[in-house]
Amino acid sequence: MAAALVACQALLQRDLRAVFRSRSQLYSSILFPLMMLAIVGTGVSEGLDPSLIRDGDYASFLVPGVIVMTVLFSSTFSSASFYYDRDWGVLKVLLASPHSPRVILLGKSLGGIVIGSFQALVVLLVAAVIPGIDLKWQYGIAPGALLAVVATVLLAVFLNGFAQMVASRIRTMQGFHLVMNLLLFPLLFFSGAFFPLDGLPVWLKVLATVNPLSYPADLLRLAVYADGSSYFGLAVDLTVLGALSPIAFLWGIGRHRHPAYQW
Amino acid sequence: MRTTEAPPHTQPFAAQAEAAIFAYGDHLALDGVTLGIPLGAIFGLLGPNGSGKTSLLSVLLGLAVPQSGTVSILGQAPSPAARTQVGVVFQESCLDPLMTVGETLWLHGRLFGLERGELHRRITDALQRFDLTDRARQPTRTLSGGLKRRLELARALLARPRLLLLDEPTSGLDPDSRLRFWEQLLQANAEGATLVLATNDVAEAEKHCHAVAFLDRGRLVAQGSPAELKRDLRHDSVRVEWPDCTEAGLAAVSALPGIGKVTWLPPLLHVSVDSASAFVPQLFKLASAEGGSASGGGDAVRGIRIRESTLEDAYFQIVGSPLTPEVG
Repeated sequence: MAAALVACQALLQRDLRAVFRSRSQLYSSILFPLMMLAIVGTGVSEGLDPSLIRDGDYASFLVPGVIVMTVLFSSTFSSASFYYDRDWGVLKVLLASPHSPRVILLGKSLGGIVIGSFQALVVLLVAAVIPGIDLKWQYGIAPGALLAVVATVLLAVFLNGFAQMVASRIRTMQGFHLVMNLLLFPLLFFSGAFFPLDGLPVWLKVLATVNPLSYPADLLRLAVYADGSSYFGLAVDLTVLGALSPIAFLWGIGRHRHPAYQW
Repeated sequence: MRTTEAPPHTQPFAAQAEAAIFAYGDHLALDGVTLGIPLGAIFGLLGPNGSGKTSLLSVLLGLAVPQSGTVSILGQAPSPAARTQVGVVFQESCLDPLMTVGETLWLHGRLFGLERGELHRRITDALQRFDLTDRARQPTRTLSGGLKRRLELARALLARPRLLLLDEPTSGLDPDSRLRFWEQLLQANAEGATLVLATNDVAEAEKHCHAVAFLDRGRLVAQGSPAELKRDLRHDSVRVEWPDCTEAGLAAVSALPGIGKVTWLPPLLHVSVDSASAFVPQLFKLASAEGGSASGGGDAVRGIRIRESTLEDAYFQIVGSPLTPEVG
């Protein structure tokens, strides 16, 4: 057990080092969501007059959605490292180490979770101090921030498990990105990340209800945005996310038996 | 299977396989392989591409599980725990191009459970031993092929394995790099590591291996020391390209004085002889006589190669097919 923890920690450290060394990836993963907040948020607030949103302030409304989007992109990219490791031969070296494929996959997933959560929380931190963005922190800053961390980490856990499951089934990185985009972009759009769910037609509400990304988006909005902005409610968000994330993660880790993780 | 000595069952083995069968889908990669690799040996697995060498290494590592038969390494079934004592150098370069030389060794040491202080000492030693100290902070993608190979061997030896599996480790290396690589391998062996070397480089196997196993299409066809495997060969090996050779021609060649084993693998005739200089004129005389009746001239022999007999010839004679495509 201790040896497995050391191995996971070593793999995590390797992935973190790679991200911090790849400055362009690090900066773009944080700058892109912030640019989206600044440009789309301001553009919609000023140009479209979104009266359904508190004070017509779309940029503030968009913060939780942008955090969901950041975790989603980050999880996709970090899970794609499986393909790099396979093509570079590093996966063979890892599998020839004194650890089971399950431990190797766990270590690599932890890297994705930590990196995704870190990038999303940096975006939240920067958004929170931008003067034009007005986050209400209805539960107070500390509890709200804690709730945001919980939501972000659980979302990262869910998405990493999901991405591992997809990666173990798709042979090429191009195919992996295609499938992830095909599956996750519609989920992101129907999650309430970019618009309130209240005023939507019934069919879109149904889609949002069965969409796993709707719950972290809603939970993040509860945590950082304002009172009265939740669609599902705190208890439902936490219950659904708390149940789905470990299931998806264990499902993803369980894919270690797939031939992709064998010799 | 031809075995040149009785299997020394009382001897402790670094690795053993008993009737191991392993298939990738419909392709039978190992077909009932039985062998024992003595502790402390340098053991060569010789065979052409696709003969099962890499599959056998995978099975020994426990990364591929045989469908039947048994396998053990260092007295236990292959498992993650058993791999703490096993180092591997793969056939192709297996390095993360984004990591530095030092980080590559560090990750490996941590995966093998080395404590930070001990790991630091071993990395320093390994960098010095493999002449990589100046390159410790260099990304692996900037290393030459020879340096990459050196780093991979340094990595494989970092945890001081008792068993080192090497899959064609010197292919693509220049002679100087190859020499230095072997110096390190021999030192590791002198320090107690058993080396199992999958290769189709006969000269390397002949020079360094204490024992060799010949593999062909997943079967183990012979094993023994290089000298034992070459025992039936005469001094010289002659390969003749003679597409129109007839049964009568073969019989005539076999009847010549000083002839050992004659193997006919159209269009190649492989003959083991005491003296090539005495044999070749007689061969041309025979071919000329054959050609005179068959193709109308003495040009029936299209090519000829003479050299001192090697393990490659032993492989050819025992297996009946060439070890490397260029030989054929």
